[in-house]
Amino acid sequence: MLDLLNQLCALDGVSGDEDRVRAFIRKKARPWAHSIRTDALGNLIVFKRGGKPAENKVMLCAHMDEVGVIVTKITDEGVLKFDFVGGVDRRVAMGKSVVLGDNRVPGIIGLKAIHLVSREEEKQVPKTDSLYIDIGAGNREAAQALVQPGTYGAFAGAPEALGSNLLKAKAIDDRVGCAVMLELLKEDLPLDVTFAFTAQEEVGTRGAFGAAFSVTPEIALVLETTTAADLPGVEGHRRVCAPGKGPVISYMDGAAIYDRSLFETLRDLAEEYQIPWQTKEYISGGNDARTIQRTRAGVRVAALSAAVRYLHAPASVGSTTDFQDMLRLTRLFLERVAEGL
Amino acid sequence: MNYDKVLARLCALPGPSGFEGPVAEAAEELLRPLVDQVSVDRMGSVVGVRRCGRDNAKKLLLDAHLDEIGFVITGHEEGFLRFAPLGGVDPRMLPDRELTLLTDPPRMGVVACLPPHIQTREDMDKSQSIKELYIDVGLSQEEAERLIPVGTPAVYRTGCAPLGEELLCGKALDDRACFAVLLDALERLSGEELDVDLYILGSTQEETHSTGAITAAYGIVPDLCAAVDVTHGDSPDASKDKTFPLGKGPVIGVGPNCTRWLSTRLEHKAKELDLPCQVEVMAGHSGTNGWPLQVSREGVATAVLSLPLRYMHTPIETVHRRDLEDTAALLAAFVRGIGKEAEDRA
Repeated sequence: MLDLLNQLCALDGVSGDEDRVRAFIRKKARPWAHSIRTDALGNLIVFKRGGKPAENKVMLCAHMDEVGVIVTKITDEGVLKFDFVGGVDRRVAMGKSVVLGDNRVPGIIGLKAIHLVSREEEKQVPKTDSLYIDIGAGNREAAQALVQPGTYGAFAGAPEALGSNLLKAKAIDDRVGCAVMLELLKEDLPLDVTFAFTAQEEVGTRGAFGAAFSVTPEIALVLETTTAADLPGVEGHRRVCAPGKGPVISYMDGAAIYDRSLFETLRDLAEEYQIPWQTKEYISGGNDARTIQRTRAGVRVAALSAAVRYLHAPASVGSTTDFQDMLRLTRLFLERVAEGL
Repeated sequence: MNYDKVLARLCALPGPSGFEGPVAEAAEELLRPLVDQVSVDRMGSVVGVRRCGRDNAKKLLLDAHLDEIGFVITGHEEGFLRFAPLGGVDPRMLPDRELTLLTDPPRMGVVACLPPHIQTREDMDKSQSIKELYIDVGLSQEEAERLIPVGTPAVYRTGCAPLGEELLCGKALDDRACFAVLLDALERLSGEELDVDLYILGSTQEETHSTGAITAAYGIVPDLCAAVDVTHGDSPDASKDKTFPLGKGPVIGVGPNCTRWLSTRLEHKAKELDLPCQVEVMAGHSGTNGWPLQVSREGVATAVLSLPLRYMHTPIETVHRRDLEDTAALLAAFVRGIGKEAEDRA
């Protein structure tokens, strides 16, 4: 699965521009799928028959998109003005490399040299409005030959092992969920399962609206990442969760209260099979679960997330043992649901 | 001179101030075919000499420094590393920045940053100082202390690659781009008769205290020198008054650090060759090795020639290929016949 995850993280798929990721997943999923389709919002919906007929009872869900940038304007000097797509802390963007559009144009988010910054100015982080991307074009025409307003850009950087059992990569959020689902697709499943690879999670869980409506599952398990702040100087609960301590099982976040019995099922399975697990110790964030939960007459939702440091940044860090445990726990969860049928 | 190739090689090597070994080794190798003799001195600087064969020839020293800004590990906390800058690092560029820790073998680290949800809006608008930052190496406290001891240096993780059609972008172009320019100037002068003994210095520890240039100059005893370094290139967010556009040629220093006839000579040569050039007035310290070189021993006639470089002291330093060529052409012209002008003025 880690090999698959590395391949997925290397792909660029900013919200609204998920084509490359979707094409990759579609190709990998095809041999194992009973049916496969792309919907109007760009979600990829894969259905696979299992040991017990369950039709649309269970949906697994992970989003394909990642945070990034979109070009808004090209200046006379050939410099690109841009907006962030999804929630990016601008402090992690300064001086970083991006890759723009289908032509894979390299660019950098520029910032004048520190020597040219006044003492007052130095204390403040420049506003997003003042940031720009330099693609080495001398003027507007040269820039326009390579990119246009509306061209998407993703952070650059190859996935790489870090320290003991950690992975550094962009887009771990949420390619790890996609990797877990692709891995399960290859296996014999205990019941019918729908796999929803969603689009545009990062800009307001947009894809999940359509995916959940068309699938209308009884139960949805969202496979995600969640932000970890286990850093020196951060006290107790403000650390939220930590990579390496097992998958995070959500009971509540900033956008949803999760189905209690599904939370307990996941927790009990983890205990029974001695899989490390943790909860978030700080109520924040949200994911596709909030949207799925409120679809039609309602869906019972659960979420399993990898704790990831520096989420939404070019160098995110997560634990490979957590990723493996997410896969194990998801597999056990499907078995438990099948037993209940 | 194939700048893309030479700079891809030089910039990818780690060489923060005081730890220039691998860069010096490559510099020595590149320099060897272009000079009569090359050596590495006690401070790790690379010195090449091309003699003209005349008795009592004047000595001209051309300097470009080999070191780059970097970091040094100062402590461990919960497996994360505390660090201090080596040279003038821009802390605004550090959150979520990948670094190479110069252990054997080297290790990757990421500068840790706090997620937004545990910070206030005011915090998020504030730049963090290096004192507040840590490097995440994904290790336990015990492992980190053992594998990455205090005093371990680190550098940015980029190399050097083209940006657009005309630019090169990467780390350590300050000042390895200028070292490549010196090599190019030597290539342009190869086979020509010179009237000075020409010394090429790839100096160490410029970014901290100019230590390499100070000690090398003592040994070389030059009569004349040129510090070839970078100056601020333009960028959309910087004042046009304080920066020099990329692609508009080398920048000739004028002011107390620059011996007047050498500045004038550079300007004249640029005019003769119809090379574009710019002038930077420096009211005092030039911020280059030219400052200590000028007062080496009993004093050295000093020129400061600069290459415009955008985003100085960052992992994305950017230069224009044509400026590299033009600076090398100007330097070669500056060298030709300089011995005669020096003697005429004596």
